[in-house]
Amino acid sequence: MAPWLANGLIYASALALTAGGITLLYITTRTFNFAHASMATVGFYVVYSFIIFIGGSPYRYFPFAFLFGALLGVICYYGLNRPLLKRQASEITLMMSTLGYDLILLSLIQMYCDFLTSNYKLFPRRVNMNMYDLELFGINAATIILPLMAIICLSALHLFLGKTKFGVAMKATIENPVLAGASGINSDRVYMVAWLIGGGMASLGGAAMAMAQTGTPVMGMNSIPFMFAGAILGGLHSLYGGILGGFMVGLAEYAGVFLLSQKFGPWILGYRMGIPLLLMAITLLIFPRGLAGIPWADLFGRLTGKKRGVQA
Amino acid sequence: MSDDKQIVSRLKGFLLRREVIITAVIVALLTFLLITRGVPMILTIFIDFAIFAIVTLSLNLEVGYTGISQFGRVLAVMAGAFGAGAIPGRVMAAIMGLPWGASYAEATVNFKLVPQLTAVLEKSWFLSIVFLIFCLLVAALCGAGIGWLTSRPAIRLKEAYLGISLLAFGDLLMWIGHNWEPLVGATTSVYIPDPFRFVPGNRFQVVVITVFVIAFLIYFFINKLTHSPFGRTLKMVRDNEISAAAAGKDVVKIRTRSLMIGSAIAAIGGALYVIYTGAATAIGFTRLTWTFWPWAFMMLGGIGSNLGVLLGVFLLTILRSMITIFRFQVFGFLIQWGIDPTWLEFTLMGAVIIVVVLFLPHGLVPEKVEPVLPADRVQKVITNMSSRGRFLT
Repeated sequence: MAPWLANGLIYASALALTAGGITLLYITTRTFNFAHASMATVGFYVVYSFIIFIGGSPYRYFPFAFLFGALLGVICYYGLNRPLLKRQASEITLMMSTLGYDLILLSLIQMYCDFLTSNYKLFPRRVNMNMYDLELFGINAATIILPLMAIICLSALHLFLGKTKFGVAMKATIENPVLAGASGINSDRVYMVAWLIGGGMASLGGAAMAMAQTGTPVMGMNSIPFMFAGAILGGLHSLYGGILGGFMVGLAEYAGVFLLSQKFGPWILGYRMGIPLLLMAITLLIFPRGLAGIPWADLFGRLTGKKRGVQA
Repeated sequence: MSDDKQIVSRLKGFLLRREVIITAVIVALLTFLLITRGVPMILTIFIDFAIFAIVTLSLNLEVGYTGISQFGRVLAVMAGAFGAGAIPGRVMAAIMGLPWGASYAEATVNFKLVPQLTAVLEKSWFLSIVFLIFCLLVAALCGAGIGWLTSRPAIRLKEAYLGISLLAFGDLLMWIGHNWEPLVGATTSVYIPDPFRFVPGNRFQVVVITVFVIAFLIYFFINKLTHSPFGRTLKMVRDNEISAAAAGKDVVKIRTRSLMIGSAIAAIGGALYVIYTGAATAIGFTRLTWTFWPWAFMMLGGIGSNLGVLLGVFLLTILRSMITIFRFQVFGFLIQWGIDPTWLEFTLMGAVIIVVVLFLPHGLVPEKVEPVLPADRVQKVITNMSSRGRFLT
């Protein structure tokens, strides 16, 4: 497999996870979560630390990354988001609060890197996680395992939202919080679970992202525009749209850079971040409500099933 | 006797106002730093304060007065910095017959070229001042251009959507500057002819005074602007767009104007910064420094209050540099673990944002609710109108 496609698939799955998390948090709590950036980086450093101190393949420690991110998400919910939601703060205030949380996490990550550098003589500021990867069918295992993992996680999320009682309650809260509250659903717990899942997905995405590119303390911070671009591309009102948007943004970046650099030369590599933004801008011009606004059901008949928001 | 009491109570009321208390704290901290660290430290704080005050005041004009979620402040600052870095030096080189095309920004050429230009400026105070004003004008024009460009999506997108788009494009511009060499030298930086060399003695003090004076001129300009009918219209758009449109105000035009003025001012801040440091480096314009710090300053000071913003910038700038100054004394335990205490700057920024959001939603100096007209004037207008039979009551 071409290296750009391999890396592109990993990166796209990572962005699908993170953009899905951002969308989930936005549709439940109206919060654009800036802290996704550092939560992703934390996920990567959790995996890295486990490999350094215990050893073994990185995939073994991905569940820990999820747990750590979920913990950070729940802390953010109880410490910041809940009081602000009770006060009915504006979207901008909610966004700023997560920005503050993100900066604190960023400084902690930087300090942790300093700590590792000077006490264990490691180089945590430039990590090539491919080094610890296994080989499967003659190619890097990450190319197969990570997209698979993303698919499994997102299917699990789909099943959770569709088949469990709590998931249905969550869906109801997303569709209409007032009505859901009137029918006895505890919105507080729904929001908490949203932060738990969102934070976990962020860290999982970050851990996966480090397999495709160099892991640095500002990895998440540099890629947060793409996570947001994915979420906006997806239309911000549908979880599946966000996941698809993230995947497309990730793949478009790698494919676009590869194709354009073949045509115009390697100088195009420096402008790679323009490609997903251009994609976002064009999509928003044609479909102002994002991917979720495209009438998929009309296009594919019953392939996509029922209309969103209507329980069969 | 009663007069005395009145004066005392008035004085008490004045001294207990938040602005006065915060100013006192700032003065106390500055005196402390002056005694322990000497004059150069104070000057560094002053220049940081002045540049960030310009940028934050412009942000306040857009966010606090017009209600635009400007998460791309770095865009305008960068436009000003790139403009001041790329254009005035080239114009001067072209006049002098030196290479001024794409090769001007090449590191090896630029390195030799700029000292020649500085040598010319050094001889004439008139040329220096013209050059400085030209730099600021170019920057303001570039900033206004970027402001107009950002106003295009700002008409359609709302709140968080807009904020994220601007944030992403801020990053994009930084990467363009970092990769396209003719602009500001890509990975190397473009040096800027120094217009402060004509004064004998210490250049630094002249820079501080100049930047400080410009910052205060901008403060007075923005203060005047926000207290003018235009400022009241901005607030009207912020508070209720529909009612503003119903009252016959062109919301799109007003938002565009606010963005253009704000961006031009922010660009002047960026230009002053690169002139002060002597070089424009694209990679230095991160959103952390030029978007998120101004947001933190503004939120601490009080969104929508110019004086509050000024005090917020001053207080946080002092605290920020105190972390750097006292890192060995206060945070020695961190150094023992091999941790660099300068990361605490980010902790401070995050903590300030969180504390303000949770406990001080209106900032240190909240925006004052000002009546459009004094009460007696309103009364007069009403009697006037009712006597003409305009009111049916």
